This record gives sequence, structure tokens and C-alpha cells, in this order.
Amino acid sequence: MPELRRDPVVGYWTIVSTERSRRPVEYSKKEITEERSCPFCEGREAETTGEVYAVRKTGTAADSSGWLVRALASKMPILSPESPFDRYGEGIYDLMEGVGKHELIIESPRHDHSLDELSVADIEKVIQVYVQRLNELEKDPRFKYTLLFKNHGLISGSARDIIRHTRSQLIATPITPKRVKEELESTRSYFDRHDRCVFCDIIRQEAKDGSRIVAQNASFFAFCPFASRSPFEIWILPKKHSADFGKLPGQDFPAIASLLKECLTKIRALLNDPPYNMILHTAPYRHSDKWTYWRTVEEDYHWYLQISPRLTRDAGFEWGTGIYINPTPPEDAAQLLRETEAV
Amino acid sequence: MPQLRKDPITNRWVIVNVENPRTADSFPSISHTLTSRACPFCPGNESMTPPEIFVLGRKGGPAHASSWQVRVVPNKFPALRIEEGTDKYAIGVYDKIGGFGAHEVIVEDPDHLKGMADLSIEQMELVVKAYRERCLDLRKDPRFKYILIFKNYGQLAGASLEHPHSQLIALPVVPSRVMGEVKGAQKHFELTDRCIFCDMLDQERAKQALTIVEHKGFVALAPFVSRFPFETWILPKRHEANFDATSDDAIKPLAEILKATLSKIKKSLKDPSYNLMIHTLPIHGKEFESFHWHIEIIPHLTQVAGFEWGTGFYVNPTPPEVAAETLRTAKA
Repeated sequence: MPELRRDPVVGYWTIVSTERSRRPVEYSKKEITEERSCPFCEGREAETTGEVYAVRKTGTAADSSGWLVRALASKMPILSPESPFDRYGEGIYDLMEGVGKHELIIESPRHDHSLDELSVADIEKVIQVYVQRLNELEKDPRFKYTLLFKNHGLISGSARDIIRHTRSQLIATPITPKRVKEELESTRSYFDRHDRCVFCDIIRQEAKDGSRIVAQNASFFAFCPFASRSPFEIWILPKKHSADFGKLPGQDFPAIASLLKECLTKIRALLNDPPYNMILHTAPYRHSDKWTYWRTVEEDYHWYLQISPRLTRDAGFEWGTGIYINPTPPEDAAQLLRETEAV
Repeated sequence: MPQLRKDPITNRWVIVNVENPRTADSFPSISHTLTSRACPFCPGNESMTPPEIFVLGRKGGPAHASSWQVRVVPNKFPALRIEEGTDKYAIGVYDKIGGFGAHEVIVEDPDHLKGMADLSIEQMELVVKAYRERCLDLRKDPRFKYILIFKNYGQLAGASLEHPHSQLIALPVVPSRVMGEVKGAQKHFELTDRCIFCDMLDQERAKQALTIVEHKGFVALAPFVSRFPFETWILPKRHEANFDATSDDAIKPLAEILKATLSKIKKSLKDPSYNLMIHTLPIHGKEFESFHWHIEIIPHLTQVAGFEWGTGFYVNPTPPEVAAETLRTAKA
């Protein structure tokens, strides 16, 4: 029986077909096309100047070999920091110059490794770079939010070249993006009603119910959300309430790295290395007195990593309504993921 | 330098690449390979679909069962079903509704190999009429809150069958994205006593930079805040909130501008996959009549990825001014 399910965080609806759940093999695999010569490989640092941070072997210099994880300014930035910060109107329309920052985090010096194939120790270094960059970009008072994301096996909207070398991206924006704002407003309104964080409530309910759990360890929890928009979608959250990923203590790096690796490995094994997006949802920047409206996020927001395998195509219905049709109920997805061994 | 443009209706920001616009021929073209295997939408195969809901152009008598011009049938694999309940309940923090709804397929032409852009004007009129009649019929059921008419053309746009067809889904809830758009228009009306879409058309009348076709009461244009390259909207020039209030007189002009627009897109972008949607007022939306119905056509030329998902920000490599010029000058 199809079912409409509402996400308690933002309030969007998803149509879940609970009647005939689509199995992993029924999602056709897309072919990855050509591979260009890759400037992100070790030894070609001169072609990608603009290293902003790196975890390196001791004694090696910036923009040279010997790195393990490397953050760079993007050569084809969607937004660029040099833009003057100009806002203006044109009749009924509002415009803004494209100020912002676009960085790439190269997760491994090796071309043929995906994030899930790195060792837990190496993923810890990736996490360390995530935290460092998010905190560093916060220092620029022009930025209100930084989105950290990863497109695996997908061509992004703007990149014209297909380079598979494993990497994540960061984009710092001069405004709080609409979708982020909606989520923040919605979680605040939940807190206003209940004096509890909606994500903490979700974790409590999911832990008790058990049917949507994928994996967990002492500090982090991974599950398929009740109103998953894409089949086999996974959220990873800290069990202890925490709004800001940038404040993740170093002692938690091994636990998040190992759970992330476990989830990604399961997805690869079960779905034959599908394309996916990974998105970090975290608190917006709160520059002292300036944008007072996010004062309550420490209490009412909770960071999480969203991993969405891209197995279905968004078509007219999804675009027109914002309602997604999910052919694999999250309970089935979670069970299959639980049963899949992460080798 | 990239430019950020804010949509005045939904407040959504779009990053527009005004510096190095991507032109029509820079997008890879993917050909639509057509097969002529047994298709449930072809004349003669009427028994392969669930029982017909509505038909136009069929001659009388049992011998002419396959003589229809446009045919509406229930979707065989519906996202929502009319037999389901509308019960609403909670499971702890979660909300749930039974999967009640209607999901119909509008077969646009008997000819399997015709794209929508290739339909004759007369045939396109029948399609538009079928859209309207289905909306008018479904709105009688008080359980429905919103009707979306849409079309997925080509594999990249999510089409699974080749035979030219559109779809309709009637929902027991008003989708939040629709509500966002309708409320955005309402807010502008409260501030100015004007319709935001009418304002958009007024501003465009003076500038003429975004217009693609203007035709007897309708305009096709590239919206100033296009999320996607070559995104195209068709709007009635006179304020009208409901698509299904389109008068008999307006059906032909609408069919004509729709055909002209689709032909231009087909020609300029080498027959791209696209989605088409009709944005109209929710059924019980009396208080939101400041809304202005329109058709949105979105060619599939780029892939939406993590940044768009995470922020709701779109990155558009082709400024709408460039897209409009390309489409305006293309032969229909």
C-alpha cells in the first residue's frame, strides 16, 4: 500500500511504496564515462596551486607531494571570494554579487580509492580537514553558512570535466541558504513546542523501534529516515546532542570515521557502488551579535550527515510538488543494509 | 563573476553564470532511441491498460474502439491509489497518511513515434482540453487538495514509456513546495495589491530581454531567476489563478504557443529530455487567488548534485537572457 510519510524535521512529504519494495538489483547501474588525466593526483600539485590546508608527512612543503588529505581553492568556483559584496535591485528582482568560497578537499593522494576504501585512520584525517576548514571559513564575517558535500559518481551541475578522484567540496555562502533556513526554523519550532530537540527525539524513537537502524557505535547512530526521499538514504548523527559539526572533539574522530566507512561500504556492497551525494547538515555561522536569529541553534539543532544514493531520477512530479516517490521503504532498506557485511 | 539572483516568489536564490554563459550547443545531446515493441498506449492495445477514464475524438460504435485521438487511463503502477484511505495518524514523532490519490496517464496521440512538439495544432488542442477536463472532474472529489499535471519526456527526465503521454497526480495534501510558491505570491499581493507574475510580465514588456514567444494572450519566457539552463515558462497575460478556468477560446492559442515553444526547445537543444509541469492554484485555495497559473518546462541538460540538494541554491550555467535569445531566434 502506498503511504504518505512526513518528515518531522522540515515537514516535507514522501510517498513510500510499501507494497512491492524495489530490491537493490532493480535499480539499473549507470555507467561511469571517461576519465581525464587527473590534476588531483600526488605529484601534480603544481597544477592545482592554492592549497589552503593539508595533512602532510612531516617535513613536506605546501603544494608539493607528501600529503594525505589536501584542501584547495576550486579552479572553477561557483562563488568566488574576490567579488565585491554588492546587493541591488532590478525592478521586482533582487540580485547579489557572487561572493563566497569554493574549496575542494582531496581525500586521498591515490586516484583509485573511494572514501569508503580508505582506512579508518585515513578517514579520520579527512574528518579533521572538514572540521578545520569549516572553522577557518567561519572567521570570514561575510559568510553565513558553509555547505560541505560530496558527489560520488555524479557530474555536478557546473563541472564540465569528469574526474573521479575522490574528493569533497565546501561552499561558503553569503546568505543562509533557503533549505538550511527551513530546516533550522522547523527544528526551532519543534523545540518551542516540546522543549526537546527533534533529532534527539528521533534517535530515541529509532533506537527503541530498531527497524530502521543501519549501524551504530558508542557515539554515533546511523539509520534510514522514516520519510526517506531516496531509496537507501542514511543519516548519521551524534548520539549526544550537538548542533555544530565544527565543534566535534578530536576524540570522536575515530568513531565517526569508522561508522561512515561502515555505512559507505555497505552501500557499495549492496548497491554495486551507486552514485551518491553526501551532505553535512550543521549549524550556521553565528557571528557574535550580528545575526541574532540563530541564537537558539545550540539547543534546537543537531548536526547530521545525509547520504543519498542516487538510484531514481527526479521527474516532473518531484519538481512540481517537492514530494518524492520512494520505491524502497526505509525499513526494508535498513534491514538489507544491516544484513550486508561491511568488509 | 557569478551573479546571485533571488526569485521574488519563493525567495530561492540562483547562481547565474553571467560571465561564461553555456550555449545551447555545449550540452551533450542524448538521442531518444525509439522501439516499436508492444505498447499499451498504441491503438489496438486498449485492453492492456486499466479501464479508460476519458477519451476524445472516438467515433461511435464498437468497431471504432481504437479510433480515439486522446485517451486518459489510470496509471498501471500508481504512486497513489484511489482505493486507499485518507486516514491520518502519528507514530511517535512521525506523521503518516494512507496512500489515497489519483494517478492518471494522458495519451497524447495514437502515433507511438510522435513527440509532443510534433503534434498537430488540432491534436495539441485536444491534449490541453483533456488536461482541463480531468482537472474539472477531479476537483469534484472533496478529498483532493491539489492536482499536478506533468510530463516526463526522455530517459533523463524519468520517462519509462516512449509513447507520447502526460501524467496527472491528484493529492490529498497541498505539497509544501506548491504552498511556498502560492504563499510567496500572496505575500507580494498583501504588500502591493498586485500579482507578482503580472508584475513580472509588466517588467518584461518594457525590457523584452527574456521573451521567447508572445502569442494571443500568452507569453513564453525564460524567467529572470531560472534554476536550470533553458528553463521556460508559459503564462496567460491576463491574471488567472486556475489552469482549469482556461476558456474554450483560449485553448487554441495555448496549444499554439505550447507547440511553438516545445518546437524551439527541440530544435535549439537537439531534442533534449525535459519535464513539463502546470503550476496552478490548490483546489481549496480561494484565499490565494493572487496566484497566476503557468506552465514550467525544464530541459534536462545538467545534473543536480550535492550543493543544490543541501542548500536549495541552484547553479545555472546559462543566463536566461542568453537562453531566451537562442530560443526566440530558433525556428518553431
